[in-house]
Amino acid sequence: MLSYAVFSGITLGGMYALVAMGLTLQYGVSRIMNLAYGELVIVASFAAFVLMTSAGINPVIGLLIFIPASFALNWAIYRILLSPLVARAKNRGMLEVDSILATFGLLFIVQGILLVWFGGNYYSYDFMNGAVDVFGAAIAANRLVALGFALVFGLGFYLVLTRTRMGTALRAVAVDPQSARLVAIDVNFAACFAFALGGAMAAVGGVLVSMFLTFSTSMGVAFTMKALIVVIMGGVGNMLGALVAGLILGIAEALVATYIDPGLTIAVTYVIFLLVLLIKPSGLFGRTVS
Amino acid sequence: MLEVHKLSVSYGKHTALRDVSLRVDRGEIVVMLGANGAGKSSLLKACAGLVAKHENTAIALSGKDLTDLAAHRIVEAGLALVPEGRGIFGDLTVRENLELGAFAKRARTSEKDNLERVMTLFPKLSERLDQDARTMSGGEQQMVALGRALMSNPDILLLDEPSLGLSPIMTGDLFKALAAIRNTGVGVLLVEQNAHQSLAISDRGYLIENGAITGQDTALALQSDLAVQKAFLGLATA
Ligand SMILES: Nc1ncnc2c1ncn2[C@@H]1O[C@H](COP(=O)(O)OP(=O)(O)OP(=O)(O)O)[C@@H](O)[C@H]1O
Ligand SMILES: [Mg+2]
Repeated sequence: MLSYAVFSGITLGGMYALVAMGLTLQYGVSRIMNLAYGELVIVASFAAFVLMTSAGINPVIGLLIFIPASFALNWAIYRILLSPLVARAKNRGMLEVDSILATFGLLFIVQGILLVWFGGNYYSYDFMNGAVDVFGAAIAANRLVALGFALVFGLGFYLVLTRTRMGTALRAVAVDPQSARLVAIDVNFAACFAFALGGAMAAVGGVLVSMFLTFSTSMGVAFTMKALIVVIMGGVGNMLGALVAGLILGIAEALVATYIDPGLTIAVTYVIFLLVLLIKPSGLFGRTVS
Repeated sequence: MLEVHKLSVSYGKHTALRDVSLRVDRGEIVVMLGANGAGKSSLLKACAGLVAKHENTAIALSGKDLTDLAAHRIVEAGLALVPEGRGIFGDLTVRENLELGAFAKRARTSEKDNLERVMTLFPKLSERLDQDARTMSGGEQQMVALGRALMSNPDILLLDEPSLGLSPIMTGDLFKALAAIRNTGVGVLLVEQNAHQSLAISDRGYLIENGAITGQDTALALQSDLAVQKAFLGLATA
């Protein structure tokens, strides 16, 4: 029972961490607070569902389609919807307000389309349902696959950001966009690229989640909230922080759902969130900035 | 060679630079002396593409027109700026700062040589490569800033008051490094208020007042110029 709860918590936490990494990239580098982020997670879940149920193509292969598709879609969203806001923003605060309003609108558009298409029901599909024995607990194989992919993508993402020149350039833009221009970085391009990459991470999260969870058209907001909490809890812009915070939340939720009451998971999420902020306002791995 | 022709810059209604023309050749240090608010930083920022210029302005580097290029393309063309306040990436390590200096495509092939050059110039940095840049001392941060600019393999280097906040000894070391950089063929445009030490290493100099060039000469002549002595070298008026 315990190892089952811990394992499902790790799986869930891995999803939170993955999704949060994309959001923090969009916020840190592109300076866009994307309230429609969770909707894009759910769009990917539904896309995986449609692919599986109507074409019989499994979600692992779906990833190969949805990652580039989401990258391209988010690239277009940035170019069409957001770059006009970036161009006219006189300062960071103004861009933040504008982007919150714009992506808030986007949230309703995406949710509306999903609702027309799929209605309000919960969806799921069969994919690798067989159980596997993990330390004495019977775990569905789809969870293992989802966790495995989350690890691969999370680690890969982390390595790209910290070990490659392109990744270092993205971090430089997050630290100081003005100085980034002085080392020949095209800041507008970097912002668009980071936004698209973050969107691709959202799609990965959505596809992986759909492998083992039921989902509905209204769940996007919950993902945005969870991702935001993980980002703030881990320290804004900190990838390692997002990983740790995501795992903490996932495991806490699973333990509470198993041993106390599933209805309390959200309450516990917020209690942990508030506790962390009370003790360390800049997040677990955040630095107190002047 | 950097050629600035009739550069004018305004911030709203306030005109910070009016018809400034100057030239910097490769292999020379040119100092720009001027009081606070004279427009020195505006001049360097305009060259680097960070502030908007008036229409009749023309800026060229070795014949290539830079006037309307975006800042990142100007670096690519061979002009590097070390801004006022250094502009290094504090949250990144010294190594990462230097690595980013070579982000420009023009710098990729010579990256290794340039890194060696920077390490020879500032041996201290080689011991601190994995330290976060913001935890370095002011003088060390200036070395990082200068090193980062050199990593882009520039033809012309623009420096905005690099001696600000440094001790006279540290400033002396820094200026020696500048002389060494000049001797590798790089042209240096140095903005300074520290006239004594900067004129000593410079080849030529300009005087800037209220956004306009008011004088230019060889460094030697400027050092003995009475007006310069009064304004910048602290000579007591009789
Ligand atoms: N962003 C800006 N907005 C409005 N006015 C500005 C701006 N930047 C500079 N100025 C004004 O332009 C003039 C020239 O400023 P600049 O920074 O170029 O001077 P400076 O010679 O570098 O001075 P200092 O030696 O103090 O660094 C000043 O009067 C300044 O107030
Ligand atoms: Mg200045």
